[in-house]
Amino acid sequence: MLAAYLQYWKINLLTMAEYRADFFMWLGFTIVYHGTALAALAVTMMRFPSMNGWSLREMFFLYALWMAAHELHNALFYNVMYVPEYIREGRFDRFFVRPFDTLFQVLTVPSRTFPDGFILGVVTLAIATGVAHVHLSLQTVLVIAAVVCGGAGIDLGISLFVASLSFWTIRVDTLRWAVMSLEQDFTRYPISIYTRAVRVVLAYILPFAFMNYFPASYLLGKHDAAFGLSPQVGLLTPLIGLLWSGCSYLFWRIGINRYQGTGS
Amino acid sequence: MAKSLGVPLIVTRELRKVFRSAKRSPGPLGALRGLFAPVYEDRVAVAGVSMEIERGELVGYIGPNGAGKSTTIKMLTGILVPSGGEIAVAGIVPHRKRRENARNIGVVFGQRTQLSWDLPLVDSFELLRAIYGIPADRYRRSLDDFVELLEMGDFLRTPVSQLSLGQRMRGDFAAAMLHEPPILYLDEPTIGLDVVAKEAIRTFVERVNREQGTTVILTTHDLADVERLCRRIVLIDRGRIIFDGPIERIKNEYGRERTLVVRFTEPTSAPAIPGARLEASDGITARFVFDRASQRADRLVREVSERYSVEDIAIEEPELEGIIRHIYTQGYAGEERSA
Repeated sequence: MLAAYLQYWKINLLTMAEYRADFFMWLGFTIVYHGTALAALAVTMMRFPSMNGWSLREMFFLYALWMAAHELHNALFYNVMYVPEYIREGRFDRFFVRPFDTLFQVLTVPSRTFPDGFILGVVTLAIATGVAHVHLSLQTVLVIAAVVCGGAGIDLGISLFVASLSFWTIRVDTLRWAVMSLEQDFTRYPISIYTRAVRVVLAYILPFAFMNYFPASYLLGKHDAAFGLSPQVGLLTPLIGLLWSGCSYLFWRIGINRYQGTGS
Repeated sequence: MAKSLGVPLIVTRELRKVFRSAKRSPGPLGALRGLFAPVYEDRVAVAGVSMEIERGELVGYIGPNGAGKSTTIKMLTGILVPSGGEIAVAGIVPHRKRRENARNIGVVFGQRTQLSWDLPLVDSFELLRAIYGIPADRYRRSLDDFVELLEMGDFLRTPVSQLSLGQRMRGDFAAAMLHEPPILYLDEPTIGLDVVAKEAIRTFVERVNREQGTTVILTTHDLADVERLCRRIVLIDRGRIIFDGPIERIKNEYGRERTLVVRFTEPTSAPAIPGARLEASDGITARFVFDRASQRADRLVREVSERYSVEDIAIEEPELEGIIRHIYTQGYAGEERSA
């Protein structure tokens, strides 16, 4: 399985070199995408020097934390997005005739997913860590790494859950876009600025707040005024990522069983 | 994997598959009713298929659209879980041990490629080498062999998206056989292919069957594939097997009618020969149909040359295609006759 995974990445990277124009276009797109978000943040913060006690520097870190996690998810698990398409077009069958887990095979379909966004995310996060004056030690570096991985796990859990719904022949495109824009819009600012209902959703239902708000609060030594929770909750991110992706994987298995029953 | 001798490689007993779908009642209230008290509709796709296939056989599994061919193949490959009956492929129940079963099989779906669209063909092969853990020297040998046999040398480095259908199918065949599985399932493998590609693929199937002893189950609409490759056919209609045996038997039972084609030297209106029925005539060429069992061809030939001035005579044997078409429309009566 490891050999197959390594071969997959080897092919991916070779493809990246081959489709150089494609690669640079995507890189450009990623830069513009995150650049725009950060610029919008800066413009907003010119009017308000601080937002619920968060300065622009700290919000840059907040964004970078999310960005690194989200881009890690994109680099490793982006293919999950294509599952509804595979099922709809009858291309899902082929994952049953190869000797690996179905999800593993979905993740290793070569599809020009390049790790450029993740590299960009790590660089941005490194800069933001300095800009926001995060106290640097081996411990914080490890915490940041664990939080980024956990955040990618949360992303995977949610996208896998949505994708699995299509085993019940549900059209998930709208739902997927709704969840994606929820994530993109509400992770940019500290969630303490939102109403209670939004905060509850982001913390407990679709826990995007654990991708950046809680861990950033912990790392920046901020007291969380929104929930009155201990700052240590920010360390729960890896656990929540594991839990979400684990539960979604079980849900995926149920979906697979259904697929094998109905064939559609 | 080597099971005790004497056990057929593939066994199914009373294999069934029923698809259940929620029936939609008409009107806005119907949708609501469907939500709370759904009404289900059962569609029987495979209604009790029992067959045994021995190692090294090359079997044509044929039937009209919706007869249950693909559903059977999907149960054999482990894609679908049967609704009833038993199934064992090389001693394994495919859907219970899907991954183990997958190591024993190669699959080609004619309609859908298993190759990676963006990648050169050879990259897809490399990926398969890693998936199946094929040793480097064996991989080299198989690949060289396949490249030569399927004439893939010219497009091995071309992205799959730029290949013609025929080239792509050849790639798919190589991809299915790279790990040298003992069983090969082919679902409509020659659909839409030109003559050259068809021939290349038929030769390939013939060779892996002969040289590697690969057991092949071929599902197709193109009976020329079957006629060329298979000794045995299994005919399925409405989820049931209606014939299982050698091609010769079905030909003998159904292909009783032969056709005598006569070309006259001058226009001849309403030609007739005793013992044969005039099927068509355009004045110069006439087609007579006769029963092989009751009429001898040489007598008819003599008869027609005595009566008319004949330029040329030919006898046409029945084609499998026509026989099968006849069975679908008229039903199969062989069970009763041979019982």
